[in-house]
Amino acid sequence: MADPDAGRDARTRRAAGRGSLAVMLLPALMAVVGLFGGGLFLGILQGLGHLPGAGLSRLSATHFSRVWSDPDFLTSFGLTLYIAAVSTLVAAVISVVAALALSRLVNRYRAVHFVFQVPLTVPHLVIAVAVLFMISPAGLLARVAAAAGLIQAPADFPLLVNDRWSIGIILTYVWKEIPFITLMLLAVLQNAGRELLDVGRTLKADAWQRFRHIVLPTIFPALGAASLIVFAYTFGAFEVPYLLGRTYPMTLPVWAYKHYSDIDLLARPEGIATGILIAGMVAAAVVTAQALTRAARKKGIVL
Amino acid sequence: MVHHRRCQCRCFSGLLAAALLLIMVPASPAAEPPWEAVLQQARGQTVNWFMWGGSPAVNAYVNGYVAARVKELYGIDLQQGPVKDIAEVVGKLVIEKQAGKHTGGHVDLMWINGENFRTCKKNGLLFGPFAERLPNQRYVDWGRPSVYNDFGEPVEGLESPWGSAQVVMIYDQARISDPPRSVGALLEWIRRHPGRFAYPAPPDFTGSVFVRHVFYHLSEDIGRWQGSFRRSELVATAERTYQVLRELAPHLWRGGSTYPESPVRMNTLFADGEIDFAFSYHQAEASRQILDGLFPETVRTYVFDEGTIANTHFVAIPFNAADSAGAMVVANFLLSPEAQLKKADPDVWGDFPAIDPGRLPPEWQARFRDLPRGPATLSDAELQSHQLPEPPSEILIHLEKGWEQHVLKER
Repeated sequence: MADPDAGRDARTRRAAGRGSLAVMLLPALMAVVGLFGGGLFLGILQGLGHLPGAGLSRLSATHFSRVWSDPDFLTSFGLTLYIAAVSTLVAAVISVVAALALSRLVNRYRAVHFVFQVPLTVPHLVIAVAVLFMISPAGLLARVAAAAGLIQAPADFPLLVNDRWSIGIILTYVWKEIPFITLMLLAVLQNAGRELLDVGRTLKADAWQRFRHIVLPTIFPALGAASLIVFAYTFGAFEVPYLLGRTYPMTLPVWAYKHYSDIDLLARPEGIATGILIAGMVAAAVVTAQALTRAARKKGIVL
Repeated sequence: MVHHRRCQCRCFSGLLAAALLLIMVPASPAAEPPWEAVLQQARGQTVNWFMWGGSPAVNAYVNGYVAARVKELYGIDLQQGPVKDIAEVVGKLVIEKQAGKHTGGHVDLMWINGENFRTCKKNGLLFGPFAERLPNQRYVDWGRPSVYNDFGEPVEGLESPWGSAQVVMIYDQARISDPPRSVGALLEWIRRHPGRFAYPAPPDFTGSVFVRHVFYHLSEDIGRWQGSFRRSELVATAERTYQVLRELAPHLWRGGSTYPESPVRMNTLFADGEIDFAFSYHQAEASRQILDGLFPETVRTYVFDEGTIANTHFVAIPFNAADSAGAMVVANFLLSPEAQLKKADPDVWGDFPAIDPGRLPPEWQARFRDLPRGPATLSDAELQSHQLPEPPSEILIHLEKGWEQHVLKER
C-alpha cells in the first residue's frame, strides 16, 4: 500500500516546483510586463488624449481617427509596407542562395562565420550614413565614375538616395539583414541538411528537386522567423528612412516622430497614436504569418 | 522709402523700450534685499543649471570656465543638468506647479528662449522679475527689439540675456563673386540657377528661419508683426509666402522633390558643390567649418541689405527654485565682460555677446575688438546694424504648419 504521505509530498514538491519556477521567472516577467507593458499602456493612454500637462485630460479616440483619416495615411502606409516587403524579400532570396553556397565552406573555414557576424554589430544608422557617402550624387561612387569618364559630372549619377523608389533605404536594409538571415539559415543547414541531401542524391533527385523537397522545407521555419523579424524591424524603424527617404511622402515611423517632436504639445497624442498603430500592424503581420505557416505545415509543404 | 520705414520702426521700438523700462523700474520695490545681501545668501549654494547639452563647446564653457569662476568668486557650486530639449524641464515645472510644489525646486536656472519662454510666462513658472536687479544689466542694450522681445514676447525682466545669434548667408567667393544681397535678389538668383539652392525642410530650425525671411520680404512692414496684428493680415501674407515658395520649388535642388533634413546636410551639399549657398543661424558657423577643414578657405558670409533675423537666448529662474539667490549671481556673472569675452572667443564657443561692447570701459572695448575673428565672420558692427527681430512664436508655428501643408504637400 502506498504511503498516503508520499502523494502529498509529491504534490507539495510539484507545487514548490511551480512556486520556484514562478519565482525564477518573476524578474524577467516583471521587466517585460512592467517596462514593456507599462510603456504600452501609458502610450495607449496618451494616444487616447491623456496629457494633463498640456491641458488634455479627457479620453477619446479622436487622435486615432485623425491619423486614420489623414489623406496621407494610406500613402505613408503603402510606402512603409513597400520598403519593408521589398527589403525582406530581396534579403531573404539572397540569403538562401548565400547560405546554400556557404554551407560547405563554413565547416572548413570558421572565419566565414566570423565575417558574417561583423555586420550584425554595426548600427543601422552607421550603414545609412555610409550608404549616403557612397551613392549620393556627390558620393564616392559618383566621383569615381566621373573621374573614370563614365559620366560627365558627379551630379549625373543616378539618384539613389532620397529618391522616389527608396532605393537607398532598401539597399541599407538588404546589406544589413542578409548576414542575419544567412546566419540563421546556416545554423539549420549545418545541423539537419547533410544526411537528407545524401539520401536525396542516392534516390537520384536532381538539384531543383533536392532544393524544393529537402532544403526548402528544412530551412523554412528559420527563414520564416528571420524574415518576420526583419519585416517587423524595417516596418517600424525610423532612422534609415529619416536620413535616406524623401521629405514627403514619409514612412509611418518618421511621421510618428514628426508629430511627437512637434513644437505644439497637442500634436503629441497623434504621434503616439501612429506609433501604436505601427505596433498593431506589426503584431497583425506576426499573427498572419503564424497562421500561414501552420496551414502550410498541415498541408505538408514545410516541416 | 524702405529706409524711412525702418527708421520709423527704430524710433517706435526705442519708445517702446523706454516705456518698458518705466514699467520695470517700479517693479523692484524697496523691500527687495540689496545686491550685497543676495551675494551673501548665494555663498555656499549649489545652483543646478538645466540646459540643452548637445554642444561640446557650450558644455566645456559651462563646466570648465563658468563653474570654476563662480566657485572662486562667489563660493557657488554650479551643476550642469544637460537635457536633450529644455521643453522637458518646462513640462516638469508645469507638473510641479499643478502639484503645489512652490518651494525647494531642484531646477535653479534654465537656458531658454522663444516658445519655451512663452509657455513659462503664460503658466507663471518663472521667478522674478529679476533681470533689472543684476548689476551687470547696465551693459545690456535693452533698446534692441531682439532683446526686449523674445520671439515677440515681452521679456519684462523675467529672463536675463546670455548671448545672441544672427542668420548669415554663406557662399564661396571662388564660385560666386557677387552674391544676391537681398531676399528678393536671392529668389531671382535661384530662378536663374535651377538646382543650385536648397533649404532644410521646416520645422527644422534653420529651414524655418529661411521661410520667415521670405515672409518678411513679402510683408509691407515687418514692425507690425511685433505688435498687435490682425489674423487676416497674417493669413494673407502667409498665403503669399507659400505661393512664392511653391513657385520656387521646381528651381530648387532636386527640383524641390526632397529637402535636406538638417542644416548639417545642407552644409554637406554646399561643401560638395551640389548647391552654391548655405546659411546658418550662427554668425560664426562658416569660420568654424573652415577651421575644421570642412569648408574651403574662400568661403565668406554676408547679411541681406534689409537685415537678417537675430534672436537672443536667455537664462531664467523657475518659480520654485531652491537657490534663486545663487542663480541670480550666476546670471549676473554670465553678463560680466570677462564671461562674455570668453564666450565670444571662437576657440571657446564663438557666441555673440548679449552685452553691448560700446557700453564697456575702453580697455574692455579694445579686448572685444581684438578678439580673433574667423576668416568668414562679419564684424559686430556690420551684424548689429542689420538685425531683424524674430516674429512671435505664434507666427513661427503658423508658417511651419502652413509650409508643410501648402508647399511640401501642395494642398
